[in-house]
Amino acid sequence: MSAVAAPARIGRLGLYAFLAATAIFFAIPLLVVISTSLKSLNEISDFSIFVPPSSPDLAAWWKAWHAACTGLNCGGVHVGFWNSVRILIPSVTLSVLAGALNGYALSLWRVPGANLILLALLLGAFIPYQVILYPLVKITSTIGIYSSLPGIIAVHILFSLPVMTLLFRNFYSGLPDELVKAARVDGAGFWRIFVSVMLPLSINILIVATILQTTGIWNDYLLGLIFAGRENQPMTVQLNAIATTSTGEIEYNVNMAAALLTALPPLFVYFVSGRFFVRGITAGAVKG
Amino acid sequence: MSGVVVRGLTKSYGPVHALRAIDMVVEPGDFAVLLGPSGCGKSTLLNAIAGLDDIGAGSVEIGGVDVTPREPSERGIAMVFQSYALYPTMTVRRNLSFGLRVRSVPKTEIERRVAWVSELLQIGGLLDRKPSQLSGGQRQRVAIGRALVQQAKVFLLDEPLSNLDAKLRAEMRVELKRLHQSLAATIIYVTHDQIEAMTLATRIAVMRDGRIEQYATPDVLYERPATLFVAGFVGSSGMNFLPGSLGRASMPVARIEADAIPLDGYPFRAPFADGGKVIFGIRPEHVSFADHERGGPIIEAETLFIEPMGADTLGWFQYGSQRISARLSPQCARGLSGKVRLALDIGQVSLFDPTTEQRL
Repeated sequence: MSAVAAPARIGRLGLYAFLAATAIFFAIPLLVVISTSLKSLNEISDFSIFVPPSSPDLAAWWKAWHAACTGLNCGGVHVGFWNSVRILIPSVTLSVLAGALNGYALSLWRVPGANLILLALLLGAFIPYQVILYPLVKITSTIGIYSSLPGIIAVHILFSLPVMTLLFRNFYSGLPDELVKAARVDGAGFWRIFVSVMLPLSINILIVATILQTTGIWNDYLLGLIFAGRENQPMTVQLNAIATTSTGEIEYNVNMAAALLTALPPLFVYFVSGRFFVRGITAGAVKG
Repeated sequence: MSGVVVRGLTKSYGPVHALRAIDMVVEPGDFAVLLGPSGCGKSTLLNAIAGLDDIGAGSVEIGGVDVTPREPSERGIAMVFQSYALYPTMTVRRNLSFGLRVRSVPKTEIERRVAWVSELLQIGGLLDRKPSQLSGGQRQRVAIGRALVQQAKVFLLDEPLSNLDAKLRAEMRVELKRLHQSLAATIIYVTHDQIEAMTLATRIAVMRDGRIEQYATPDVLYERPATLFVAGFVGSSGMNFLPGSLGRASMPVARIEADAIPLDGYPFRAPFADGGKVIFGIRPEHVSFADHERGGPIIEAETLFIEPMGADTLGWFQYGSQRISARLSPQCARGLSGKVRLALDIGQVSLFDPTTEQRL
């Protein structure tokens, strides 16, 4: 038996060696970023980027959070962090709820022209941002929300609606329409059925939508740069400003720390909710 | 108690006519069954009565009130669905009480009615479970319970037993009959199962292609079917249809194969044409061995095979160029072969016009 197992075991070892090598290869940039963020500037300039920090400390992290400069403002990325939070919470909440409501109405109620609306939404999901940017700037400045918090929130909701609506429509059209009929006979109307029957059924898909929207909107750079305005710049825009500031010495350790700080929230969301994410995606797929 | 009156109900999906000018009166306390093959419009008619679908033309009256423009919840109806349609995230108790809570019925009244229903249907032990934790039969009971707590004037049931296995279906059939009698409720019930229809109904509407072919009591439907379709659809081993022609000797006769079968006493609806084509319909139980001496005309046929069904046996015979079946007692059918003489109970035949398919 061991004679048979030996070649198989060698094969296994080779497989794991290959996987470990691949993992290290892809992890190297991240490891370098982390180790650089823990070094002092002198250490960075004197040694190779692959040498681990001799005396790791969080000074660069502290500076990135509180005191890094973008142009003349030296408040650190925490300003951008809170801007991003202010943009994120209403954008995610409203776009997910609007998507759920749209999907519910389009799949379970007889909306005249529902198929045309769906087709339009599908097209909307595929239109590249670049095409709409200039018209959207004109529209938002005409109605007076360009370069403001409501402006960037409205733009995020608009861009999210097609995908959110399709996601929820697919989920709801897997439900038996007798459910809505039963609730109508029970006397519930459009909103009561949505709140009491449909939303409780949609927990998994709501979580999936929230994850998609949170990471998407947090990672957005282009829309934030154009529509948020100077006062509401999200963290990504501020990070770029910090990294490209060209006055004086380039503080690699602070830049790395700022990058990591910016990346943390979506990572956190994935770690906490990965379980729900997989469950929600499959629940939608097999008409759970 | 309220009746239901449907007048000129019409509905089409694009070019497809789902309902063609349906007229129907369900008396208070009736158990009316809409029977027909799938796609005949029976569920569409039920949904139209419930107000769940928009209708093209016509009106629906419940309890003497025209409810055509009203929402389902304002029509005084309760409904049981084929898929049960229980709310998956609610416990049985909340499923039962949802409609009452929507209507803001006082809490003590809700509790009283839920207790009454769970006693009546013996689902008291299930009240705190979710639908996913129930068996098919239990879900069925909860779905019926959810309709009963409404204390509606009219109950609409859409193929409620079709997802149950045969044994459970027979049990629930008895239970439904008991409920109908004890509640004295008006029920409209959709099914494609003619046994369900025959056992439960006080009146049956047989539907085809969006029309009601016949609306009558089970007895009349079985004994005097109004059309060829009804005659063929109702009855578990189907009626024999023998094409032939009509003739007039000293009395009306049907000429089938080489025989002239006398039709004395057949209640013709209208005078018939000599030599006109006819379809002669007779149920297997009205064909018997001639030596039993029941009178009536006798035909000669060749035994083909027999189908034992327990209580009785279905015998199949070659009669000229046609096949005919007879319901026989198992004793006299055993070991049957060769030529036989069959007697036809002429008082029980149905004659149809082959072109209009109407009863003559």
